[in-house]
Amino acid sequence: MKGCKGRVLAMLYLPVIFSVILLSCASDISHDHSGHNMMLSEDGMVMNNNAHRLPFGCDVISKQYEFVVSAGRRYAADNPGAVFGMSQHDYRVEACSRISVVFSNEDEVRHQWMVHGLPKYLYPGGMFHLEAMAGKTIQGTFIVPAGDQTYLVHCDMAQHMEKGMKGQLVVGNGSGNLWNVYNTSDTFLKSEYLPAHTSRWVLLFAVIAFILTYGLLRR
Amino acid sequence: MSRRQYLLVALILVVVAFPPGWYPLALRLEISRWFGAAAYLALPVSKPVETVGAEIYCPPDLAGWRSAFEIDGVNVSPSKTCLSDNPYSVATFVRGANNVSDDTLLKSGLAADAVTKGEDLDGDGDPDVIHIRLEVVELNGSSAESAEPVTQYEIAPGITPGLWVFAPKYLGMARENFESRKARSGLRPPSPVIRVEQGDRVVITLENTHYMPHTIHLHGADHGFVTATGQGNDGVPLTSELPLMPGKARSYELTPRQTGTMFYHCHVQPHVHVSMGLQGMFVIEENQPNNWLQTLNVGAGFVRSSSVAIAKKYDQEYDLHYTDLDLQLGQRVQSSNDPRLVTRSMHRDYDVTDATADYFLLNGKSFPYTFRESLIVTEPDEKIKLRVLNGGSKGISFHIHGHKFNLTHKDGVGVVPENQAAQDVIWLPTAQRVDLDLSTRNDGLHSYGAGIWLFHDHQNKGTTTDGIGPGGNISAVVYQEYMGLDGWPKTQGVSYEKFFSAEYYRKIIPVWQSYAPVLFSDPGTDWLMFGRILLLALAAGMSGAVLVSGSK
Ligand SMILES: [Cu+2]
Ligand SMILES: [Cu+2]
Repeated sequence: MKGCKGRVLAMLYLPVIFSVILLSCASDISHDHSGHNMMLSEDGMVMNNNAHRLPFGCDVISKQYEFVVSAGRRYAADNPGAVFGMSQHDYRVEACSRISVVFSNEDEVRHQWMVHGLPKYLYPGGMFHLEAMAGKTIQGTFIVPAGDQTYLVHCDMAQHMEKGMKGQLVVGNGSGNLWNVYNTSDTFLKSEYLPAHTSRWVLLFAVIAFILTYGLLRR
Repeated sequence: MSRRQYLLVALILVVVAFPPGWYPLALRLEISRWFGAAAYLALPVSKPVETVGAEIYCPPDLAGWRSAFEIDGVNVSPSKTCLSDNPYSVATFVRGANNVSDDTLLKSGLAADAVTKGEDLDGDGDPDVIHIRLEVVELNGSSAESAEPVTQYEIAPGITPGLWVFAPKYLGMARENFESRKARSGLRPPSPVIRVEQGDRVVITLENTHYMPHTIHLHGADHGFVTATGQGNDGVPLTSELPLMPGKARSYELTPRQTGTMFYHCHVQPHVHVSMGLQGMFVIEENQPNNWLQTLNVGAGFVRSSSVAIAKKYDQEYDLHYTDLDLQLGQRVQSSNDPRLVTRSMHRDYDVTDATADYFLLNGKSFPYTFRESLIVTEPDEKIKLRVLNGGSKGISFHIHGHKFNLTHKDGVGVVPENQAAQDVIWLPTAQRVDLDLSTRNDGLHSYGAGIWLFHDHQNKGTTTDGIGPGGNISAVVYQEYMGLDGWPKTQGVSYEKFFSAEYYRKIIPVWQSYAPVLFSDPGTDWLMFGRILLLALAAGMSGAVLVSGSK
C-alpha cells in the first residue's frame, strides 16, 4: 500500500523521535514528576526546593536573601496593559547565594513564581517552582549558581506572563535585562497606540510639505 | 535625445512588447489570415514536486495510555484510537481528587481540588456531593516577545487559531515544558464534558484565570436562578450577576432533577465568547446505585468510564461536540498583547453579523487530527450511544456513511418510540443536542457491514479547513478488522502524507499533486510574458515623462 510510506519512514525515525519526545516531554507526558522534587500541600506546590546542595563552582553560600512576594490583580494596577502582577519583578542577588521566597497569592485563582534556566543537575527541568492556591502563601528555598546570569521569573499559567507576571532574577552582574519586565525594561513588540485616522494626518502633512517646498523652489 | 526620439523608442517598445493575446480577437484572426498562426510556443511546464515534511500519522503511545487500566478501583476502558486521554485523570475524575492515591493524583497532573466528591446523600453507594473547578485558558494567544502564538494548540497541521476554553484545574505549567511552546495535554478544546448524576448536589466553581471577564451559563440543565444564598446562578450578566472579573472565582450550584444531554457556556458577550470556545457538553445521567461517573471528559469523545445506566444498555458511549471558528476572530487575540486593545478589537471592531466560520471542529480537532482521536471504533453487532452537540454558529447536517441511526433524545428529552425511525442525516441547529443509537448490526439498514465509514457535517463547508478539503469535522466509524494495532485505520491504498503537512492546509501544495504530479502540479511561470509586461511598463513610464515634462 502506498499509505505505508509515511509509516515506514515513521518506523525508521521512531528511535530518534522516541528519545526526543522522552527528553522534551519527560516532565509531562505521563505527567511524571518523579524526576522533580515536588512537595504538594493544600496551599499549593513547591518543586525542586534546595536549601543545601551547592552548585558547581560554589564553595560556600555567599549570602542569604529572603524575598516576600505577593501576586495578584492588585499589583498590575499601575502597569498599563497588564492584568496580573507581582509585588516585585526585579530581583538582584549575589552568585552562590541562598534565596528564600515567601509567595502570597492575593487572587482567587492560582498563581506561580518560577525560575527557569537553573542547572539541571540540581533542579530537574532547570526550574524552581512555587505555586500558591487562591489566597494562600507558599515558601521555598533554592541556591543560585556561580556566574553572572539573568534568569526568567514568571507565572506560567496561560497568558499570565504575557499579561504582567514576568520578572527577572539577576545573579551577580547578570547577563543583561530581559525584555518586558515591569518597571525595569522595555516592551519588545509594541502594539499600535496611534490616534484614529493617523493615515489622514500623515497624508495631510505630506501634502503641506510638498506645497511649501514647491513654492520655495519656484520663487 | 529629443522628446520625439523618446516617444519613438516608447512606441517601438509597445509594438514589440505588446502581448499578442491582448489584441482584440477579430484583429488576431485577421492577422493570422494574412501571416498564418504564430509559431508553436509551449505552455510553461509544471513546477517540480516539492517534498513536504509530513508528521507521523499516529504518534507512538509512549506513556501507554491506550491500554485498559484499573486505577484506584476504577476500570478505565482501553482506548482504540491512537491518542487517548490520560487514564489517571479519568480515574481521578471518577473517584474525585480527594479519594485517589497521591500517586494517581500526581500522574493525573490535576490539582487536589480539581474535582472533589463527598457525601452519599441517598445511600446508594456513590457520592452525590460533587465540586468541580474550572479555569479559563487562552490557547494560541499573543506575547510581547514573539510573533509566534504561545500555549500552542494545533487544530490541524500548522493551523493555530486563537481559542478560549474552560479547562480542568491542573497544577503546574500551561506548557508541556519550558523548552516548548505547546500547551500541556488536557488544555484543549472543547471545554470538558461535565457528567453528573440526577439529584447530585453539584457546585461548579469558575476560577477566572483569564484576562477577560467570563461566566458559566447552564443551558438546558435544571438549575435555580439564584443560589441558596441569593447569589446569581444563571451566568447571564444582563439578569443575574456581573461578569466574573480576572483573578476572581464564583460558584454555580445545581441539583438537576431531569436527565439528558445539555450544554454550558460563557454568557459574557456570548456572540464572541461562545465562538471562541467557552462552551462544553453537560450530561446528566440517571440516578443508579454505585454510579461513579467520569465527571469530566477532557476533549470529549470516547467515554472511558461510562455510567451504570449507559453500561447496561450500550457497548460504548461517545460525546461528539461540534464547533466552528472564525479565523478573523481568533486572530484578534493574537494581533495585540494589550488586553485593552484586544477587548476593543473583539467586542467593538469585530462584527459578528458580517462573520463567517472558517474552521469546523469535532471535539476540538479538524481532519486529519480527528482520525487520531475521534474515530468510533467498533465490532459488528454493537450498540453505541452518541451524544451530539452542535455548539457552532450555524446548523450542522450530521451524517454517517454506511449506517442509519435512531434518534432517542432531543435536547435531553426522550423521543417517543414511533418517532425514532432510522435516518442517516439529522439537522442540528446551533445549541441543539441529540442522543443517537448507532447499531453496527449488518442488516442493510442499521449497518452495511464492516468498513471505514466517514461521519461528518454534510454541508460542504463543514468538511473543509478554511476552504481546504478534506478537512473540517470529518471523522469515521471504523470496524475493528479495519483498525491497525497502533490505532490507525487500514485505509485502502491512500496516503495521508499530504494531509499531515502544514503546507497542505496553508494552501501551499496542490491537492492532487501526489496522485498525478505533472498533470495536477502548479504550472511554471511565463517569464516571457512577464518580460513583455515590464517592457510595456518602461514604455508607459517614458511616455508619461515626455508628457509631463511639458512644452520646453
Ligand atoms: Cu499567575
Ligand atoms: Cu466569556
